[in-house]
Amino acid sequence: MYSKKKSPACSANLRRSLALLLAAAMLAGCASAPVQPWERGRLARWDMRWDPDPLKAAIDNHTYFSKEGTTGAIGAAGGGCGCN
Amino acid sequence: MSAISRLALAAALLAAAAPVIAVEPGAPAPAFRLPTFDSAPPVSLAELRGKVVFVDFWASWCSPCRQSLPLYDKLRNDFAAADFVVLAIGLDEDVADAKTFLAEHPVKYTTLQNPQGDVAKAFDLKGMPSSYLIDRDGVVRARHVGFEPKDIDVLKKEIAGLLGKPAP
Repeated sequence: MYSKKKSPACSANLRRSLALLLAAAMLAGCASAPVQPWERGRLARWDMRWDPDPLKAAIDNHTYFSKEGTTGAIGAAGGGCGCN
Repeated sequence: MSAISRLALAAALLAAAAPVIAVEPGAPAPAFRLPTFDSAPPVSLAELRGKVVFVDFWASWCSPCRQSLPLYDKLRNDFAAADFVVLAIGLDEDVADAKTFLAEHPVKYTTLQNPQGDVAKAFDLKGMPSSYLIDRDGVVRARHVGFEPKDIDVLKKEIAGLLGKPAP
């Protein structure tokens, strides 16, 4: 006889697809609004920098490069004015 | 993927892409009317038709703007006020920041405020600072992204060219 009660496997599948759908929808949210050049005011703040002291960062990098015999790839997208 | 769903995906991607088209030289300048930082009445671009207009977008957090704004004051004085106008549009979200900047770097030309950034969006700025040279008919004739002091000489030549006068 047909029962209205769903099997446990079916509801787990449904839950999984709902979770996937939600995750996909949330992923799209990350792509919606790139920061425009004129909107970087808060990113340009001093306390938004990776390295608050550029001179100290330069000295640290210099030491690191001579120790490792390597250079570059020290930056990452982050704060800053993005000017020029 | 079926042809229809591929078409739908293409349409969705197109719609998601920025609908604003960057203002390139040769295109008409987007119209705007903005309040000043002082008690002077708002200024619209349309009322300056017949003059060569230099529109500069700046912000207090933009470090090259500390050099450019004072230098544009000199640039303005190189040409007759009847022919050439400088409009500097401040894009600080907090107008108080822009006012502090102007107090530290006073200029004599017109400074306008656009904390909402809608005019910046209409011009679709590609960087900060950005400036546009607009001819007597309201058409953008040159665009500059970023600023270095040597850009002033280029600007002088461009402005003189539009005014039909020798560069100062």
